[in-house]
Amino acid sequence: MRSYGLSEIRAINGKYSMFHAMTEEEPSEGRFHFSAKDNLTSKGMETCSGSRILEGYRPAFDATSIERMKAAGGELIGKTNMDEFGFGTFSTNSGLEVPRNPFDLERACGGSSGGSACAAAVFEDHVSLGVSTGGSICCPASFCGVYGIAPTYGRVSRYGLIDYGNSLDKIGVLSSKATDLRKYIGVMAGKDERDPTSCAQPELGDSHVKLGSVAVPMEGVEGLSKDVEAAFRSALVELERMGVDVEYVNMPSLKYAMPAYYVLATSEASTNLARYVGMRYGQQEGDLSLKFDDYFTSFRSEYFGDEAKRRILLGTFTRMVGFRDRYYAKALQVRKVVIDDYKRVLADHDAVLAPTMPFTAPRFDDISKMSALDSYKADYLTIPANIAGTPHMSVPCGYDSDGMPIGMQFVADHWNEEVLFSIAEDWEREFELRRPEVVA
Amino acid sequence: MDRETIERVARAAHIKLTDDELERYSRDLGEILTYFELLDEAPGCDDYGVNPVEVADILRDDEPSIRIDPDELLRDMNTYEGYVRGPRLS
Amino acid sequence: MKIGLEIHVQLPTRSKMFCSCPTTDAEAPNTHVCPTCLGMPGSRPVLNRKVLEYGIMLAKMLGCRVADTTWFSRKTYFYPDMSKSVQITQYDNPVGEGGVYYLNGKKPIRITRIHIEEDPGKTKRVGDQSSLVDYNRSGIPLAEIVTEPDIATPAEAREFLGQLIADIRHVIDLPGDGERSIRCDCNISVGKERCEVKNVTGLKNVERALTFEMVRQTKILKAGGKIERETRRFDEERGVTISVRKKEFEADYGYIDEPDLGVYHIRELADSIRIKESPLKMTLRLSDQYGIDQKMSKQLVTTSVGLAEMFETVARDVDVPNAIKWVAGPISANWRSLESRGADTETLVGIIRRFASGEITDTECGMEIKCHMTGEDRDSVQGASEGLDTLINQYLDENPAVVTDYQKNEKAANKVIGFVMKNSGGQYSSAEVVEATKRLIESRI
Repeated sequence: MRSYGLSEIRAINGKYSMFHAMTEEEPSEGRFHFSAKDNLTSKGMETCSGSRILEGYRPAFDATSIERMKAAGGELIGKTNMDEFGFGTFSTNSGLEVPRNPFDLERACGGSSGGSACAAAVFEDHVSLGVSTGGSICCPASFCGVYGIAPTYGRVSRYGLIDYGNSLDKIGVLSSKATDLRKYIGVMAGKDERDPTSCAQPELGDSHVKLGSVAVPMEGVEGLSKDVEAAFRSALVELERMGVDVEYVNMPSLKYAMPAYYVLATSEASTNLARYVGMRYGQQEGDLSLKFDDYFTSFRSEYFGDEAKRRILLGTFTRMVGFRDRYYAKALQVRKVVIDDYKRVLADHDAVLAPTMPFTAPRFDDISKMSALDSYKADYLTIPANIAGTPHMSVPCGYDSDGMPIGMQFVADHWNEEVLFSIAEDWEREFELRRPEVVA
Repeated sequence: MDRETIERVARAAHIKLTDDELERYSRDLGEILTYFELLDEAPGCDDYGVNPVEVADILRDDEPSIRIDPDELLRDMNTYEGYVRGPRLS
Repeated sequence: MKIGLEIHVQLPTRSKMFCSCPTTDAEAPNTHVCPTCLGMPGSRPVLNRKVLEYGIMLAKMLGCRVADTTWFSRKTYFYPDMSKSVQITQYDNPVGEGGVYYLNGKKPIRITRIHIEEDPGKTKRVGDQSSLVDYNRSGIPLAEIVTEPDIATPAEAREFLGQLIADIRHVIDLPGDGERSIRCDCNISVGKERCEVKNVTGLKNVERALTFEMVRQTKILKAGGKIERETRRFDEERGVTISVRKKEFEADYGYIDEPDLGVYHIRELADSIRIKESPLKMTLRLSDQYGIDQKMSKQLVTTSVGLAEMFETVARDVDVPNAIKWVAGPISANWRSLESRGADTETLVGIIRRFASGEITDTECGMEIKCHMTGEDRDSVQGASEGLDTLINQYLDENPAVVTDYQKNEKAANKVIGFVMKNSGGQYSSAEVVEATKRLIESRI
C-alpha cells in the first residue's frame, strides 16, 4: 500500500489544490489514507464547505461517514476543495481554492466534488468521500478518470453533512479502484439514529450480480460531443461483447428533471443557508450595533460568492407566496414522475446507462465564458438519477483526442447498489485505466 | 425578472445587491425562469412525498442527555458571560 | 368585535423536540445546548416521540380531525435567537384541524388547527449596542392552537384561555406555572381590518393588550379614521401596544417541506391514545347524564376524578339515588383518608350493593364505609360517629331555628359546623362534620 508523508502531501497539493484543510501531523503507519469533501464535518479540522462565510468553523463532531471510515482504519489526510456549498459543475465556484485537473492543469476537475476526484486520481491507494446533490460525484469522476458512486438517498447517514438540498444530498465514494466502491460504501452504509433519513434503508446487498441488460435512454445520447459519443458507442460494443443486452428506450420524464431539480435544490439550499448570518460560527467579526437585519445582510452580501447568491435568490423566489405552487409544489410532483419512469424501465433492465457528461473537462478560460444557465444545462445527464434518489455510478470508458477522460453513468433501482458494485468490478477487468503523470 | 421582484427577493433573503449585481441577476434569473416554463407542461401527480424514498415514523425516545460539552461548542463563538453576542434588536 | 387567538403552549417533555438536550431550568445560559439546537452546520433533527403524542392528545381534546399522515415544514425568518434562521413547524397537514372548544360548556369557539413546532432561544437587549442570546430554550417543544375569530370581548378571551389551560393541564400534566408560560398572538378587529398583537405572555396581559387595542381601534374608527393591517407588540410596563411593522413588510416565510424528518403515519397512534376528560367537561356531563345539579357534580370532580368515577360506577351498577346518598355523602367526606391509605373502591361498591339489596341497614352501611375508608375499627368509628352525632343533635335541640333557617339558606348549617369544630378539639375532619351536620339537619326536616 502506497503511503504518503506530510511533506509529499503538501507538495502534491501545491500543484493540484485538491485540499483546503490538511492533516498537520505525519500520517500514522498502517492506516489507509482517505480524504473527504469539505462539506463533511471533521472534528478538529476546519470545515468550510468551500465558503468564506464558514472560514474558521472547527466542528465539535465528526460526520458519521468520516467517523465510520476512521473506525475502519482510515486516516483523514485532507478536506477536498469544492464549489461553494456544492453549487457548481466545475469546482470553480469556490470561495477558497480551485482544484486542477490531474490530466491537464489548465482544465477543471468537474464539480462539485472536484477536489475529491482529483485526490482519487492523483494519490495511489486513496479513497475520497464525495457528496452528490445533482451529479457532484459522477461529473468529477468522469472528468478525472476515476470510479465514483453515489448510493441511494438515505444509504449513508448525512449526520455531519453541511446541507445543500436535504432531499437530494447523498454521500458516496470516488477511487481509481473499482473494488473500493463496494468496500467503502459498505463501511459507511447503515442506519444512524442521528439521521432519520438513514433509518429507512434495507440492508446493503453484497453479492456479485452479473449484468444482464442495460437500457440506454434516447434522451441520454442527445447533445454529446463527438469524442464522448464515440467513446460511449465503443463502450456499448464492449458491453455487448461481455454478454450484456443493450436496448434503447424512451424516458420522456427526463427533460423535466432539470428544472424540477433546480427548483427543489435551490428552495432547500436557500433555507439551509439562512443560518449563515455572522453569528455562532465561521466569520463573526462585525459591527454588533447594527440592527440585526442589516448586520445579517452585510455578512451575507460580503461573504457569499456569486453563485451562492444566485441560488439563494432563485430558491427564495421559487418558494415565495404566489410562486410556491407553480415552482416548488410542481417540482415535488415531477420528482415522483421521474422516479416512476425509472421504476418502469428498471423493471425490465438491470441498469439505465448513458454518458456521464456531454463533454470532457473544459478549460478554465472556457468556463468563465459560460452563462449560469449554460452550466446548469451541462448537468442534464446526471440530474435525473439524483432527483430520483436512485444509486448511480460513473466508470471511466475512454479518452478524447487530448487524452482527457470520458465516463459513462449506470443508474440502478433504489437500494440496489450491489448491481453497480458488480458492474464496476467486471468493467475494471476489461478496461485499461490511465493514471495521470504525477509530478509534485 | 423585473427589478421590483428581485429587490423583494433579495430583501427576503437578506442579501444586498449592487446595481451591477441587480442587473446581472435579474438577467440570469430571467433566463433561468424562462427555461423553467418547461415545468408548466410537465405531468403532475398526487402521490408525491417529502423524500425520494419513503422515510416514515422515525422517532426518538424522550430521554435527556448531553453528548457534547457545551463549552466546546461555544469555544469559537463570540460570547459574553455565557451568552452569545448578537446584533442590536431594533 | 372579533378576536382570534394563536396560543403557544410549551409541552412538558424531558428532552427537547429535535435533540436530547434537557428541558429543565438550566443554571447558566447556553448550557443545555447541542449542535442541533444551536443550528450548527452538519447537525440534524430527530423528532421526540412524546411531542407527537402530546400534539395528538391536544388535537383530540379540542375535537380536531387528526391527520392520517403528518409532516413538518421550514418557516424561514431571520432573528438572532432563531439559530437556523428557520423554524421547524407544520404548514401542510398539521396534527389536527377543524375542532371546537365549548366555553363554559356552551359557547362554541372554533379551532382552526393545532400544530407542533420548536421554540426559539431568548434574546436579551443590552442597551442599544448589541444583544445577548441564550439558546437553552431553543428547541423546546410547543403546541400552537389557532382559533377562529369567535371570541367576543377581551374578558371572554381571558376566560377562554383560563379554561383552555386548565383543560390542557389536566390532559397533559402541564406544570403548575403553565399559565405564566402561555404565549399568545392576539388578532383583534373592531371594524373590518384586524391587527395582530404578537407574543403576549400570560392571561392577564392578553386581556390588557386586547382591551387597549379595542379602545385604540374604536377611537380611530369613531374619529372617522381607518385601521391599518399591521403587527403590534404589547409593552407590559406601560400597558400599551406599539406598531412593529405594516402588512406590506410582513416576512415571506417561504414554507417548504422539512426533508430531514420524513413523514409520520399517525392514524394508529391517534386511535390508541385515550385522553382524559377535562374536569369542566366531566362536571357538565355528570350533571347532564345523572340529573344531579352542577354544584354536586362539581364537588365530586373537584374533590377527585376518582370519586367522580366511583359515583358513575355506583350510579350504573346500583342506582343514582344510592350514588347520591353514599358517594356524594360519607364517601366524599372521607375521600382523603381513603386516598392516603390507598384503600380500594371495589369494597365500597360491594357495601352499597349489600345495602341496596336489603342485606344491611342504613347505619350498618355508613359504619362499614367509614371503617373501610379510615381503617379504624368498628367500635371507635361507632363511638366517634355517635359522639359526633350526639354533639350535633345536642346543638340542634338547643337551637331548633337552625333547621328552619337551613330550609331557606343552606349556609345556616355553618353555625352548627363552626360550633362542632370548636368544641370537638380537632377530633373530626371538616368534611366529616359537614356531612354529619347536613345529614342530621335533613333528617329533622
